Amino acid sequence: MSSETDAAVPDAPPRLFAPRRRLLFKGRNGLAASLASSAALVAVILAILFATSGGQSFRFYFFNPHFLWIALRGNPLKAVGSVLGGIVTNIWIFLLCEVLVLLFGLIIAWVRVTTTPLLVPFRLLATVYADIFRGIPFVLVIYIVGYGLPQLSLGALSNQSPAVYGCIALTLTYSAYVSEVYRAGLHSVPHGQILAARSLGLTQYATMRRVVLPQAVRTVIPPLLNDFISLQKDTALVSLIGVVETSRAAQIGQETYFNGSFLTMSALLFLAMTIPMTRFTDHLIDKDREKRLAGAQ
Amino acid sequence: MNDEVLKMSSVVKRFAQHEVLRDVSLTLHRHEVVCLIGASGSGKSTLLRCANLLETIDGGDIELFGQSLLDPRVDPDLVRRHMGTVFQSFNLFPHLSVLENIALGPVRALKRPADEVREEAMTLLARIGLQDRASEFPDRLSGGQQQRVAIVRSLAMRPSLLLLDEVTSALDPTLVGEVLDLLTDLAKSGTTMLIATHEMNFARDVSHQVAFLDNGVLIEKGPPDQVFERPRHDATRVFLGRVR
Amino acid sequence: MRHVRLMLAGILSASTFAVVSTTGAVAHAATNPSLATCKTLITSQEYAKGKLTVATDSPGYTPWFVNNKPSNGRGYESAVVYAIAAKLGVASSNVKWVVEPFDSSYVPGHKKFDFDINEISYTADRAKAVTFSVSYYDVNQSIVSLKTNPIVHHHTPAELKTYLYGDQIGTTGLSYIDKYIKPTRAPRVYSTLADAVLALQTKQIDAVVIDTPSGQYMATSQVVNAKQQAIGAQVGQFPTVGEHYGLLFQKGNPLVTCVNVAINSLTSSGQLKALQTKWLGIYNSVPTIKP
Repeated sequence: MSSETDAAVPDAPPRLFAPRRRLLFKGRNGLAASLASSAALVAVILAILFATSGGQSFRFYFFNPHFLWIALRGNPLKAVGSVLGGIVTNIWIFLLCEVLVLLFGLIIAWVRVTTTPLLVPFRLLATVYADIFRGIPFVLVIYIVGYGLPQLSLGALSNQSPAVYGCIALTLTYSAYVSEVYRAGLHSVPHGQILAARSLGLTQYATMRRVVLPQAVRTVIPPLLNDFISLQKDTALVSLIGVVETSRAAQIGQETYFNGSFLTMSALLFLAMTIPMTRFTDHLIDKDREKRLAGAQ
Repeated sequence: MNDEVLKMSSVVKRFAQHEVLRDVSLTLHRHEVVCLIGASGSGKSTLLRCANLLETIDGGDIELFGQSLLDPRVDPDLVRRHMGTVFQSFNLFPHLSVLENIALGPVRALKRPADEVREEAMTLLARIGLQDRASEFPDRLSGGQQQRVAIVRSLAMRPSLLLLDEVTSALDPTLVGEVLDLLTDLAKSGTTMLIATHEMNFARDVSHQVAFLDNGVLIEKGPPDQVFERPRHDATRVFLGRVR
Repeated sequence: MRHVRLMLAGILSASTFAVVSTTGAVAHAATNPSLATCKTLITSQEYAKGKLTVATDSPGYTPWFVNNKPSNGRGYESAVVYAIAAKLGVASSNVKWVVEPFDSSYVPGHKKFDFDINEISYTADRAKAVTFSVSYYDVNQSIVSLKTNPIVHHHTPAELKTYLYGDQIGTTGLSYIDKYIKPTRAPRVYSTLADAVLALQTKQIDAVVIDTPSGQYMATSQVVNAKQQAIGAQVGQFPTVGEHYGLLFQKGNPLVTCVNVAINSLTSSGQLKALQTKWLGIYNSVPTIKP
């Protein structure tokens, strides 16, 4: 026994220092390195934008202050709507649709997980629905809904404004994704929770409502927020069925003045809407991660 | 009215082709504590889950206060309100505070008024010395504290009997004692309990009857003295030899 | 001595005159080359040497093209292109067609064709970004609607303002609506003409404004019901506002000079008019209404 352990102890002290080139980037040197690489990246971007001839025409076309300003306020004389005014349309569409999506998605998810005999035929229907609307590109859905529903002459349903059809298309598509998110959330609740709740004598409904759903919803808030951000951007596609929302207003400006700064302004407005949400979502994810890693005792 | 609270007669349970419970008969009387012992996989947990209808049995019968639970008119939710169940992994609701965990059943299932339930819940918490933790969330409590809250949660429903499934097996050894103490207390105050456990000393001290399960078969049942000191079957002897 | 001076003056003035007139002639030839000169000149100006690369959108609509095949020489614009090619000495087999979507055609930038022909109207704004040839067609805008729509019988200037119009983005039809009709409700704007037609068919809009020949084709063939019956009606055409179609070139492309020569030649010889009568003659019967 002693000979084995003796052999494990080396004659000379083992080499414990990291190779020199790695040491170069530790500690304060590391900070310098990150500053240097950031500065280099910024320098490259600035060089492309300002020092090349292509950069100049790029800035003229996309970052032209004169046209950025016209984009904001519009020019009625030239029938160019304000990009800022256009985004009001996008905003009410996504606010309304998001509420509908959250509700409808939950219903679909419920139908897919429930075991109530009454709802069983609807389970198949719900699965088919989710497959279809997750499978067809949204641009096709909005065409089919926006031009198809009016053709069907279904009374009030065929007499709405294109913005309403846009909302219907968005709701149909996004509910399919959101129902999957809910379903994953419902499945992520440990089975023991359901056992405990049912063992107390809570009905299936009460178990879902008081125990499973509250836990599932907390888990799925980040992916739901991500879907919401996606929805906000997809409202731009409502322009395909005739609605002059912000991106279409930007295109009209571009067509009239041959300058792309209108598109830039529209993009900036979208960012103003979505960045707070993306930051908030990341914050929630980080907070949840901290809780999970620190929590269990 | 007779003394039998829970009567399981010739219960058979199959998972796929595998018979997990074979012809198990067990009766639990009022104020009686019965401990189920046996190796893992012997069917103890399954038996408990069949008792409160979380699993459906494939043969035999289960009666609660003389009424067959297999009657199609029976509502499992109502049945379960008479039986308190405590699990190995506690299964407290993480999104509710300790107090809310205890109050959920009585308020939502029994439809009792909330303030009344809360008061009672606080009393129950005081009984286990955790009244100061009432508004905290379960993840802030130790394992032993959580399990005691779980026990109290099922007591809040004022059940006729308690089903306890290896409630100390997931606990740190130092925390096992506080839970066993609570169970001993409950036994002394006459709570009817069916307890699946590995804690042989506890079983010996507390139970009126001990039942030994081996591979889904109830090998023997009797007073603790008899089963532990003078087991009648070889299988029992072998098992006890391994756990001592 | 006076004799010599006169002779010298004569020779001097003659040679000056010769120089001036030659340079003048050269300059004149540069801005106004003859067809003969053009035939050789263009080979250095073509996008793809030896070929005339012509762009248009897909689908190409009747009566400008037929069956969406510009190379078959049928349809007014297809015929005009081959007529121009013939004048410039380019064989029809050397005319190459490429696709360019309408609303990217007049955006500034490098073009991958010699010129684009796609019912593109000259506007001052567009001319800042691209170069136009002289007119090959003078345009009237017209209204297309459904036979069942009240606009067919009620289209006084005041009544015209009450309808809901729709049009393709970036078209002069759309700007005609905004500039001259000025309806009370903002017009709907679509990505393609097909979408606007579909909106008309599904009764989401009352009318589309489009040049008379295209409108004629739209009303009689494109706007159909489920039984494939034509349900469109060309309500009327507006008086001309000086709009005309030109061929579109990359800004500063020198090729435009020779092409203009070709077009002018076709106009003065009456060939252009003949082509218009052949392919666009029906528009003469459309009634004129006021905006």
